[in-house]
Amino acid sequence: MTNFLFWVFAILSTVFALFAVSSHHILRAVIALMGVLCVTAGMYLLLAAEFLAGAQILVYVGGIVVLLVFAVMLTRSQDLQEDHPALPRRILGAAGSIALFVLGACAILHSKSQLITSDASSQISDVQSLGHAFLDSGAKGYLLPFEVISFLLLSVLIAGIVIGRKESQP
Amino acid sequence: MITHWLLFTWFIFCIGIYGMLTRRNAVGLLVSVELMLNSGALNFVALNRFVLPNAVDGQVMAVFVIALAAAEVLLGMAILLLLFRKKSSVDVTTLQELRH
Repeated sequence: MTNFLFWVFAILSTVFALFAVSSHHILRAVIALMGVLCVTAGMYLLLAAEFLAGAQILVYVGGIVVLLVFAVMLTRSQDLQEDHPALPRRILGAAGSIALFVLGACAILHSKSQLITSDASSQISDVQSLGHAFLDSGAKGYLLPFEVISFLLLSVLIAGIVIGRKESQP
Repeated sequence: MITHWLLFTWFIFCIGIYGMLTRRNAVGLLVSVELMLNSGALNFVALNRFVLPNAVDGQVMAVFVIALAAAEVLLGMAILLLLFRKKSSVDVTTLQELRH
């Protein structure tokens, strides 16, 4: 069952992602990105990461996609609605990304993955241990990065206001 | 099974790279970056699940990636709006002020 769901999600996600990078209409690309993000939330559920699935829906679909749609609406102009990359550019991009994919796929397929222990049958970690990991100041905790990222979000908020406001008259 | 997950996330990442290389529109570039960040977070969670099923370190990293993606989109959109106000265009191939 898990295997079947993985393939369904993988094919859906690939189709949406290809549409998101190749659509001429930029608003449709954003909607396709939303599809990819929703399918990814399903994949988090498949990997038994329930908190991440919720956070994905809340932050990505509820926040980032809405922000991108706002960006499309606020900057509506002729060249924004359509994006027609030239054919040589498209061929070069496809060749580069396919070459990169083949390189990485060879690396993945030929690596001796000795760290892979189980087939994910004994899953114990839950939301509670995730919260403990965030707020633990010991050697295995992530309290300092947690605080740093909260500071980063605050500074990005201020920077967004400063950059985006209209220039006032001196 | 882990190989399938790794190949899948790598494939999505390469689709994002293709978008980065071909898009001229700044919003399209942001969409491609989101695809790449998303596949990276998914890769962290998959490795966490198959290498250390009892730990949550990969999920912690995925939460950080999600927060960084939100910050990146916010700043990108602020710069984009400023750009649109000054040049009334979001075509990134026409931005060459720093070259001169």
